Amino acid sequence: MMNILVVVEDNRGSMHRMSKEAIAGAQKIGGNITALVIGANADAIADQLSSIALENTLVVKHELVSSYNSDGYTEVVKQVIQSINPSIIIIGHTYQTRDFMPRVSARLDIPFIPDIIGLEQDAYTKQVLNSKLNSSVSSLSDMKILSFQSACFSAEDMLTGSSSSQNFDVDLDPSMVRSSSEEPFQESAAEVDLESAELIVSVGRGIEKEDNIPIAFTLAEVLGAEVSASRPVIDSGWLPSFRQIGSSGQNVSPKLYFAMGISGAIQHVVGMKGSKNIIAVNKDPDAPIFEIADYAVVGDLLEIVPKLIEALKTEKDL
Amino acid sequence: MIEREILELDVLFVGAGPASLAGAIHLQRLLRKSGQDASVGVLEKAGEVGAHSLSGAIVDPRALKELFPDKSVQDFPFEAEVSEEHLYYLTESRKIPFPFVPPSMSHHGCYVASLGKLTRWLGEACEKDGVDIFCGFAGTELIYDGDQIIGVRTGDRGIDKKGTKKQHFEPGADIHAKVVVLGEGTRGSLTKNFLHKHSLMKERNPQVWAVGVKELWQMPAGTVQPGFVAHTMGFPLGHDVFGGAFLYGMKNDIWDLGLVVGLDYKNPGVDSHHELQRLKTHPWIRSLLEGGKMVAYGAKSLPEGGWYSIPKLSVSGAMLIGDSAGFMNGQRLKGIHLAMKSGMLAAETISEAITENNFIETKLRDYEDRVKSSWIRDELWKVRNFHQGFDHGLIGGLTNAGIGLLTGGRGWGFKDRLTSIAGHLRMEKGMKKDRYKDLQFDGNYLFDKVTDVYHSATTHEEDQVPHLHVNEPDICITKCVEEYGNPCKNFCPADVYEMVPDGDNQRLQINFSNCVHCKTCDIMDPYQIIDWVPPEGGDGPVWINL
Amino acid sequence: MKIAVLVKQVIGSESALEISDDSSWVKEKNASFVMNPPDNYAIEEALIIKEKIGEGEVVIVSQGPARVQKVIREGLAKGADRAIHVEENGQIETDPLSIAKSLTSALKDENFDLILSGLQSDDTGMGQTGVLIGELLGMSTATLAIETDIDREQIKVKRELESGWFQWVKLKAPASVSIQSGINQPRYPSLKGIMGAKRKEIKVIQSQNAEKKQSLDKVFVPQTSKETEIIETDLNSTVDRIVEILKSEVKVF
Repeated sequence: MMNILVVVEDNRGSMHRMSKEAIAGAQKIGGNITALVIGANADAIADQLSSIALENTLVVKHELVSSYNSDGYTEVVKQVIQSINPSIIIIGHTYQTRDFMPRVSARLDIPFIPDIIGLEQDAYTKQVLNSKLNSSVSSLSDMKILSFQSACFSAEDMLTGSSSSQNFDVDLDPSMVRSSSEEPFQESAAEVDLESAELIVSVGRGIEKEDNIPIAFTLAEVLGAEVSASRPVIDSGWLPSFRQIGSSGQNVSPKLYFAMGISGAIQHVVGMKGSKNIIAVNKDPDAPIFEIADYAVVGDLLEIVPKLIEALKTEKDL
Repeated sequence: MIEREILELDVLFVGAGPASLAGAIHLQRLLRKSGQDASVGVLEKAGEVGAHSLSGAIVDPRALKELFPDKSVQDFPFEAEVSEEHLYYLTESRKIPFPFVPPSMSHHGCYVASLGKLTRWLGEACEKDGVDIFCGFAGTELIYDGDQIIGVRTGDRGIDKKGTKKQHFEPGADIHAKVVVLGEGTRGSLTKNFLHKHSLMKERNPQVWAVGVKELWQMPAGTVQPGFVAHTMGFPLGHDVFGGAFLYGMKNDIWDLGLVVGLDYKNPGVDSHHELQRLKTHPWIRSLLEGGKMVAYGAKSLPEGGWYSIPKLSVSGAMLIGDSAGFMNGQRLKGIHLAMKSGMLAAETISEAITENNFIETKLRDYEDRVKSSWIRDELWKVRNFHQGFDHGLIGGLTNAGIGLLTGGRGWGFKDRLTSIAGHLRMEKGMKKDRYKDLQFDGNYLFDKVTDVYHSATTHEEDQVPHLHVNEPDICITKCVEEYGNPCKNFCPADVYEMVPDGDNQRLQINFSNCVHCKTCDIMDPYQIIDWVPPEGGDGPVWINL
Repeated sequence: MKIAVLVKQVIGSESALEISDDSSWVKEKNASFVMNPPDNYAIEEALIIKEKIGEGEVVIVSQGPARVQKVIREGLAKGADRAIHVEENGQIETDPLSIAKSLTSALKDENFDLILSGLQSDDTGMGQTGVLIGELLGMSTATLAIETDIDREQIKVKRELESGWFQWVKLKAPASVSIQSGINQPRYPSLKGIMGAKRKEIKVIQSQNAEKKQSLDKVFVPQTSKETEIIETDLNSTVDRIVEILKSEVKVF
């Protein structure tokens, strides 16, 4: 059985959702899975990991890596790899991963196959050319690093169990840490980040007039979603251009794309067809959007959506 | 605040099309030969050479051979020599071959080509010869010193849709040149004002235009014969709308299918894009395109007026070449060789002008004399009344053309010159027959306009003032609705113009981002209130091999 | 300060993509090529830094066949001082380590103070080149810089984190930083810039073939085995079904 190392990310004191997905992926691949957790919150996270089906958890609490820095993390991961000799190193494809995993790849001269959306026999599926095509990537080396795109695996599929953890001693020299960071801070986003939104409610010309736009926002609020729009709504000035989806707007592939009153012209569809679940509501049974929708709701959105909002509110209260 | 850049050149060609590029190459050679040092530049609004070039095309290699006497035809970037040619009359379901192809309409010895590919090739030759091609810069104004044209101003960049300067605003540059050569192609925007200001169309027939719309179809391997040529008349245009279809076989199993529609039809409901889709319903076309996939779409207007619509070609400091001057042979359906030759003739005059340091009208006028004693004139003279015959419908036009073959181009056999009126004046008011009520777009074979536009790969900076200026927008929702039913939504092949609900009324919405720079709206608007000006440099289609 | 900007030429997003006959990549013959849009921001940032410091040079570095000279010239037209073209022919290289090693061997004697790169390429999108080169050259690294504060004394970058969080990081020189798109507004090349680009040096070096560690074996159109469920019934049943879908199938809550 091969060894797999999963590098777990700390999300303000608890395990990052994408690390859970990474573990689910590792479990699917199958092997002796060791989790690695680094930093000031490592013990708390190790605790969460104790009820997951793993071989072991390694905890690194060295002061030079109490908070994230790329030099320290790179060296820690390298030393852990050299110690347990995994065939595969698995991690969620987060901004932090992008920041330091390539360093590990170069330091150990092993391939890093990033942002994977699917597993095949001995190969990995990765999107290329602005997600217009998929590719099949394989490793030519015995040891490889894989990062999984959000929702490639599901945190819910993580198998529970019981595992132990232990401290891992690393050898770090202060001179090897060449960066210093200030505290992270939040800035109110001037624009909405549609590309990383999980749930999107999108509005098309079928909304009929500007006065009806709040319906979309209410639905979005109930669902915890962002609001976007197709071109005609933006051109009419009913919503600002940063909410536009399509060939001249943003490209999204959220878990849910709820399209209301959108006809499905190709210029719009290219910006959202990768969405995992598409529910489209349109009066016109021949609307092109129905060709790419998972659920085609033929009806008047102005009747359906308000009622839907009420039903969802009731459901949430239950 | 960035200041306006000023660049000094000797010669500036506006528009990197075949006329300007051939002219620039020829000029460089002449200057070298005479030991002169002069700076030559070409201004191009597209982000790269060839991106805005569109034609059928069948090219007569004559001009290329003159420009590159050391090269053989194999060196030219053609698809294939015309291997077989057909002329058909189509009905809705049948295809009737013409008994023979008149020699003057024969394409024997010519080559199927992509104008985009040819232009790119010429552009590379141009740059190798030391000519600077400035892509992504649109010429928006001619610069005058008294009556003399001394340069071109390019468009400002970085202005938002309200007209306010953005953070990276940059004023247009002033390019000073001793001679400005306008090779903007069909219905050039600088050219339009230039002709008007200097009354260069005085005593000429008004220019008449057509629009060509085309689709490229990728077919399965081995199913397309490169060099195959077919032209058709009849269906779908019928006898009252000038034009016809073309089908050319290109390399790599691509069918080049298009339709030329005269922009002098009476029915304001005519829609060239829809006509192209109707053409595809013909069983013969359907059988040819079976199993293929549409990969590109484009449209461009073309000057059809012929010899008597060519303006006076020069003023002090400026000259007209190529389609901007109207050098197109409507009967042979060829203009690229004429465009190139005109550029070369202009170069000859310019070379002399540089030697004599004389750029006023009396010197630059030599160019016009050169044109009149060249094969451009020989060719265009014979077909000088071609398009005008079609004012009397298809049969009239063919008859006139036929007689013209025997009488060296005389109108109806005896008239030296037939007059005509501008095409947009022919549009008739009132409700007209709906030509498209049976047309259904299935999204796989017949496409709606919006889908086709997607395949023209056209993009524009969204945050800018729309480059289609409608000078009296009230007319759209008052007079025009009643008189013509807003024909802009029909004659624009790119879905730029849309009448959208606005409360209880309607308003005109301009989807300028879809514009493919064909200039049809500027030409065909019955009230002539639409002014096409260049958008921000670099914007527009990104055609590869159209 | 010596600043290198890694620039890649990629297939333009308006290009119709046609998969090659052996499915190994897309046909390049009828494609249009452009500068990788994220790299545009890196070039602009480099020019801003040089202008702020008042001296130094900005060097465009690009790997690929002869056609990449077009994007190199664009960088020079915008104001970069010179360029290095690592010439590589044949099928596009997709192994980021391989690419990084080849570029590293071309750059190592230049001793750049700063290397800037776009966040990832629009073709393969591996997003690693800048960091890999940084590691191979022993430089400190940072990614997704949405703001920089760089001069002779210090290298500080504001990293973009997820969900609207940011963090300032100070790095010891020399550093390799990848730039987040939108950090600045790239300037247009001027006419004189375009003319001048022709006279600037482009040093051509042959690429070093490094052992490949990963391979992109084929490309294909994403399969959407989609079965559309049509819901066309009375208002109440419709709403009920949608709630059901959101709950059990999409798992919104």
